[in-house]
Amino acid sequence: MSTAGTRNDPHCGCEEGSRLLSRRSVLRTALAAAAAGVTTYAVGDVSTQVSFAAPGWNGETLVVLSLHGGFDGLSAVVPGGDGAYYAARPTIAVPRSTLLGLDQMFGLHPAMAPLVPFWKSGTFGVVHAVGQSDPTRSHFAAMEQMETAAPGSSVRTGWIDRTIGSLGTGSVLNAVGISNQPPRSFAGPAQETTTTSLEGFSLIGPGDDRPTWHAALRRMHTGARPEVAAPANTLLRAMEDVAKLPGTGAGPANGAAYPGSDLGRALAQAALLKKSGAPVQVIALDYGDWDMHAGLGRVDGGWMRDKLTELSSALAAFATDLGPAFGSTTLVTLSEFGRRVEENASGGLDHGHGNAVLLLGGGVVGGRVHGAWPGLGADRLVDGDLAGTTDYRAVIGEVLQKRCGAGSLQTIFPGFGGSQLGVVRAR
Amino acid sequence: MPTSPLIPRGRRRAAPAPFAHEAPADQLHLLRRATWGPTPDSLAEVARLGTAAWLDRQLDPAALDDGAVDAFAGRMRFYGRSAQDLWAGGYAATEWNAMFETGRLTLARQIWSTRQLFEVVVDVWNNVLHVTNPSSEVWASRQDYDRNVVRRHALGTFGDMLVASARHPAMLTYLDNASSTAARPNENYGRELLELHTLGVESGYSEADVKGSARLLTGLTVGRDGGGVYEAGRHDGGGRTVYGFTVPPHSAADGDGWIDAYLRWLAVHPVTARRLCGKLATRFVSDTPPAALLDAMARTWVQTGGQVVPVLRTMFDSPHFWASAGQKVRTPQEDYVATLRTLGTGMETGGVGGITKIYWHVLDQGHAPMAWPAPNGYPDVAAAWTSPSGTLARWNRHMDFAAGWYPPELRFTPALQLLASIPPTFGGLVDALGVRITGSRLTADEKAGLLLYAGRSEGSPCSAGDRWVRDNLRYLVALTLDTPSFTIR
Repeated sequence: MSTAGTRNDPHCGCEEGSRLLSRRSVLRTALAAAAAGVTTYAVGDVSTQVSFAAPGWNGETLVVLSLHGGFDGLSAVVPGGDGAYYAARPTIAVPRSTLLGLDQMFGLHPAMAPLVPFWKSGTFGVVHAVGQSDPTRSHFAAMEQMETAAPGSSVRTGWIDRTIGSLGTGSVLNAVGISNQPPRSFAGPAQETTTTSLEGFSLIGPGDDRPTWHAALRRMHTGARPEVAAPANTLLRAMEDVAKLPGTGAGPANGAAYPGSDLGRALAQAALLKKSGAPVQVIALDYGDWDMHAGLGRVDGGWMRDKLTELSSALAAFATDLGPAFGSTTLVTLSEFGRRVEENASGGLDHGHGNAVLLLGGGVVGGRVHGAWPGLGADRLVDGDLAGTTDYRAVIGEVLQKRCGAGSLQTIFPGFGGSQLGVVRAR
Repeated sequence: MPTSPLIPRGRRRAAPAPFAHEAPADQLHLLRRATWGPTPDSLAEVARLGTAAWLDRQLDPAALDDGAVDAFAGRMRFYGRSAQDLWAGGYAATEWNAMFETGRLTLARQIWSTRQLFEVVVDVWNNVLHVTNPSSEVWASRQDYDRNVVRRHALGTFGDMLVASARHPAMLTYLDNASSTAARPNENYGRELLELHTLGVESGYSEADVKGSARLLTGLTVGRDGGGVYEAGRHDGGGRTVYGFTVPPHSAADGDGWIDAYLRWLAVHPVTARRLCGKLATRFVSDTPPAALLDAMARTWVQTGGQVVPVLRTMFDSPHFWASAGQKVRTPQEDYVATLRTLGTGMETGGVGGITKIYWHVLDQGHAPMAWPAPNGYPDVAAAWTSPSGTLARWNRHMDFAAGWYPPELRFTPALQLLASIPPTFGGLVDALGVRITGSRLTADEKAGLLLYAGRSEGSPCSAGDRWVRDNLRYLVALTLDTPSFTIR
């Protein structure tokens, strides 16, 4: 069914054109339903006075951009040298002639042109054929597993929460989610902050009497159930911490031009936070809408082209905006699974397995596609899908160890003993 | 089921009656769970009827007069139209407005409908058989889905609702079955039917079951008129077994019947029963409902062929329900609605401008009715919603609503009129506000916090003429809405 007011025409002329929300635009949240029944609050002494920065923080910021919905890494970082790719996708393959060449096997979708300068300067790189150790093709189970990152164990906290716990906490700004709801990876005892915007991150109403107002709210929440008290106390601390940050009302720097979209706004907030000097160790963002079962489109137009255009221009703006802070920032994309190699009759792709991870940052070993490429021959596929030859925890783990100063990964990824890939340089 | 002594009866008037007394705990608990938030009127009603009779009334919603909300629905220009009607066109300005109307009307019903339990159950099913509203493909059909799938069957039989959902153009387009064919099936609906609508991912179906499910469902599509149809030419009539449901090779003409049988088999499967009873119990009882309760509910589900009302009765009759007070945290949407309800906020006298603004608030909060962007529906557990940013949004809206600042179209009760009279001490004022807003006394910490804001002690004198009271009572009301006691469902 083709429709008026379709995805490609979001400003459909109705009264709220600019406010539209599409299923296709936001398969983004932390999928907490998958975590139903799992409450992992620890109260801790949330009202204790703490120093602003974690004592051990080395200044590096890991930015995790979740591409929820099942990102088709094969449309983004195209194995143009593999004939099986073109055989499997007669209508939606990206023609080899249009690819932005990376090496003999791979090329980028032309919509990713904004990232080519970073590829050339060695700060944008790719790991291909990344997967999870226990693949599932359910969005919700796969996201839960990816954000918990403790398969086969009874651990129910999220991996970012364990990261913050392991790096040491000094401020509720150590981990910040730029979204409406915290990602599943924040679940656990460490105190993270979730907000869509730093500006206006304060209470309305009490006028100049905020200190009294805050004190009253703190008192009211003494002894309350932890799932109510913890976010309230975190909020009060976060509002007070954000109020101390300089320049949170400033705009993008260095001529950076973000797309006027949720992703552009979120990445601009992330850059602002980083540039303000906030002691932010991890920033989490979502950019959903990749569940392309039908109508993925062709190289010169459609859903995938539009999504990759927005993703690439937003990432390029982010890197530009950061300026010198780009050197201490590493952005990694994650998606719960890749998609089926073969297209379906609806011009789309059903759920698959192996996927591409994009890396952008000053310490990235860019300009190359990392990882072991398993190929797309029928004998190499796993249940019709690209095999996963690199565990996603190996990519994250290397960034945490080499860039963020994490020691052993045993707490963060229990039971995982991956090897180093060489995707980032040590600080 | 516990019942309780009567409190003064029969006071029904346009303005909310003050809570004269702390409500009995069981009555308050029932209203916190079975409605979108207690009000003075609803507490008076349950006190008059007793909990059992109150539930009987709510489980027969057609017998309840809901004229005010029906009249409000009449302000919606597109909500009542069929999918085919909107699809046929002629309403140039429609576009996404039918979907926005559906969301706004749902919100209005949650705030003002007399059929409160029905509205809660509708919300549960909307999240089980979820079709994101608004989303691009269902601009012509989502309002029809709301009326003819979810609301028609919410207190009926789940199998009927599942079949209606599978054949509805909204679901067929949302999960892509409309474009699935025998030659190259689209797996999206076949998978989510198993994972989200019935058995659940923990049930252990295989990838082969998903593929078989998708193939069996081929043929259900959307016709030229925008309605759901079965087109035999698209159906895969091969024999297969899906999770134990065996279909022999069959003619394409018989495919429709086999699809129906498959859906109805799934709807009453004990694994489905257990999972969907878990959804209901998570809504009404706790984030981790006890296994014994789920066993009992699932037994009723299987015995009655998936009838919703007997399952709800099993739940409300259980000791687990009555022992679960304080175990749920309000979601953002519920907090907004419960705030407007307890404040006695009146419906706008004309138009839909006020509800539209409320709708934008909850949408910004990531919690507009039916707007969850993924096919699994909104979660209903505290871990999903208790966040710093969510807390900030709640507290700021409490201030808006308590002060009557926004949206101006709604009829807010001035803070000074919330209480029948202003008590003579600040301690008494805080106590009275706590009972008026939450139905029960505040905790000692909550009371201390409110007095700290007021800068007064328990025995400090207080009166309606007190300048501080006149200038600041609205702030005290907002803070009362911020208490953990109000945050609990």
